[in-house]
Amino acid sequence: MAHLVTPGPAALAQHMVRMRLALMRNSLRGDNASNLYTGVSLGLILAFGTIAVAVLWPAYLPITLAVWLSGWIFGPIFIGGGNEALRPEYFSMLPATPGRIAMALLAGAFAGPAPVVNLVALLSLPVYGWRFGPAGVLIGLVAAVATLVTMVMVSRVIVALIGLFVRSRATAAAVGILTGTAIGLCSNGWALLVALGGSDTAVWSEVLVRALPSGWGVAAVEASWPLALAILAGNAGVIALLLAAWSALLSRRVVSAARGGVPPRRGTPRPFPATSGARVAAAKELRAWWRDLVRIQLLATAFAYAVVTPLLLVTIDVWVMFPFAGLIAIVMAAASSANLYGADGTALWLTLMTPGAERADVRGRQLAWFLIVGPAAVALSLAGTFVSGETWAWPWVLGLLPALLGGGAGVIVLLAVTSLVPGTDPHKRGGNPLSTGADETAETSLAWLVLVAVPATALPTAGAILLDPWAGIATGVLTGVLCAWGFGRIAYRRLESHGIELLNLMKHGPAPKADKPTTADLPIQHRIGVTVCYTIAWLPLFPQGLVPMVMKIIGIQDRSWFLALHLPPIWQWPTIIFMIALGLLMYGYAVLIPMRLSSSSSAATTR
Amino acid sequence: MPTHQEPALRTTGLRKAFGEHVAVDDIDLTVPAGSFYGLVGPNGAGKTTTLAMAVGLLRPDAGSAEIFGVDVWRDTVRAKGLIGVLPDGNAMPERLTGREVLTYLGLLRGLQPDVVAERTEELLQILELDSAERTLVIEYSTGMRKKIGLAVALLHAPRLLVLDEPFEAVDPVSAATIRTILRRFAANGGSVIISSHVMALVEQLCDHVGVISDGRVVAAGPLADVRGSGTLEDAFIDLVGARAGGTEGLAWLTS
Repeated sequence: MAHLVTPGPAALAQHMVRMRLALMRNSLRGDNASNLYTGVSLGLILAFGTIAVAVLWPAYLPITLAVWLSGWIFGPIFIGGGNEALRPEYFSMLPATPGRIAMALLAGAFAGPAPVVNLVALLSLPVYGWRFGPAGVLIGLVAAVATLVTMVMVSRVIVALIGLFVRSRATAAAVGILTGTAIGLCSNGWALLVALGGSDTAVWSEVLVRALPSGWGVAAVEASWPLALAILAGNAGVIALLLAAWSALLSRRVVSAARGGVPPRRGTPRPFPATSGARVAAAKELRAWWRDLVRIQLLATAFAYAVVTPLLLVTIDVWVMFPFAGLIAIVMAAASSANLYGADGTALWLTLMTPGAERADVRGRQLAWFLIVGPAAVALSLAGTFVSGETWAWPWVLGLLPALLGGGAGVIVLLAVTSLVPGTDPHKRGGNPLSTGADETAETSLAWLVLVAVPATALPTAGAILLDPWAGIATGVLTGVLCAWGFGRIAYRRLESHGIELLNLMKHGPAPKADKPTTADLPIQHRIGVTVCYTIAWLPLFPQGLVPMVMKIIGIQDRSWFLALHLPPIWQWPTIIFMIALGLLMYGYAVLIPMRLSSSSSAATTR
Repeated sequence: MPTHQEPALRTTGLRKAFGEHVAVDDIDLTVPAGSFYGLVGPNGAGKTTTLAMAVGLLRPDAGSAEIFGVDVWRDTVRAKGLIGVLPDGNAMPERLTGREVLTYLGLLRGLQPDVVAERTEELLQILELDSAERTLVIEYSTGMRKKIGLAVALLHAPRLLVLDEPFEAVDPVSAATIRTILRRFAANGGSVIISSHVMALVEQLCDHVGVISDGRVVAAGPLADVRGSGTLEDAFIDLVGARAGGTEGLAWLTS
């Protein structure tokens, strides 16, 4: 027998990088390619923005870099484990130490677009260092590389920790609560900053952003030579620690057999209810919710966000959001439930092979979602309105509650069958219990679509409340029932006619038709335009349009960062209307341009 | 009105292409009612694709499929009532236990609760899945997945069973049980189609065989006609134009 020589660390890392690049090359088709191109263009815009911050507003560089770090930390949690193109399981039989494999996997992790884009952003450090002379540039360069490695390592360790420790409902919910809180802080954390000492850059916040791993580079650049070297050496030490932790976590992961995010159970499950149709499908679905850590985590995220956001505003004594916590929870829970069929994978075949089961399945899923989200949302709404003492909010809460619940129950099944994002079948997923293997970009856009669509179903109710508070409640109940019934009906009809196509989308991926255009075939300027619009259209629409509108209607004086409210009164309404129109226009452009492309080409290819 | 004289399955001109690759090219198959039909072919020959189109799980580019005279694509609901299917590699309601899967699907099909409970109990016992009472399907082994899939196919007592690789990864004892169940089903007038790579098994079980290669039917008919005087394996290797390799190369493995 020939003697086997394991490749050395450098060779192993080189193979890993090649494999990662080969995987990326092979997946660069259709929408994947367009997502990558647009993601990279957008990332580069942000990266050059960061360099611009270093040149023009250096005081804000540490906080900008902290945002990049938070992306590395919360990105993988939010999108379910991050992109694990190279799964550690693939290499578990290589005759090499875990440490060596971890090093090689790390090298593979850098062979992607995200670290490259991030490195460009970190070039802001040597740019900032220029202010301190050539030595500053040199330290900045070293710090840029060290910070990049630290950020990627932190991200990997967090993914590994989740993969290993999220094995129970409690830990899944904890991760969900953490994520929900983080999203809440990202969107409304400014309130906390205001409460803690005004918007001026207080000393403690200066220290905080430099104490974070993202700020060590800035600290090193600003420090004297010996201190700078000490900071860089400390950073290297942290990297070594992270690497050791990661390799330990990886070697535990590949030998732990748990899969599919199943929480531990005790005892024999309760017997299935002896019923039929939608109710038996709902019983199946309720069990799926209770026994799937991904769903538990997403639900916890939704409710945590809904509770944290109003609480943050309470710190500056704004109680206006408090009654609406339950409503926010409904919309967020709908957004995290939008890929119901994609999450179950090819199990759809059984629904399709059972005569007449499509209707029962759709109605059952609606019923289960309603039972899971409804009671908690109602309790949260009633308690929130009562505690806040905002009596004016009662008609809004009571009217919008049924409207949104029904709208949510309708929209999620409609989108689940019309915009399904295929993932990996649950029984074939890897060692990360929170990853569904679906294309994260597509899943995120689906969630955004729900965030727009569900509130839209409540617009008639909002209009009715403005006319007559109590007519709003009747309208809310009516539109809620109509949405749940009507959208559900469209959904199961669609499942009956197109279920086979959905099944094969999940089984074989999108049909490889050479003449069917994808977003990737859009001219580059449209491709970038569509992505940019999808990404930032919420800014004018929600925080700069709808929120100041509500505040003006209700008569809240706090102007915070709402542009319209800082303008002379005569310009306020036009600005608000302009912002809403701009947001809607951007969403319209982002949705319609790809649709026009596919319809024009399908007309051209129809024989 | 379908009668017992109609073939259990008849496909006419079935065709399916995935991009440039033509997986199934103009397949005509007739499975007589009451027969035990074996569909054999090399890896990638198009067996799974053919069966998926025949039962209504994959839309063909061209051609049609009838089950006891009922068109699968025009009268879908009635056709689905006649067949029990075990596809290869599809997911199940993964977060239910085996008993829950059978109960759920039985109730969903509109069977009476007591009938569902009785059949579920029997199927779990016979297929030796009753010990895994607390195990969710997602935690099942490959062989257990096959067995619960088979139980799902049998649950509503269909007239035609279409089973894609039913013996793959199943242990010898369970395989013997499944063989006995299928033989009893066929002996009592049921029709069975299985796909398999294992020629000896097909020879032992089936009375009719269809050989598919490169998406085309290269031979079909009663077992005796297809295999001629030799074994099915010899006839198969002859038909698909392959030769058994393995004697050349790999010098490093034996040195």
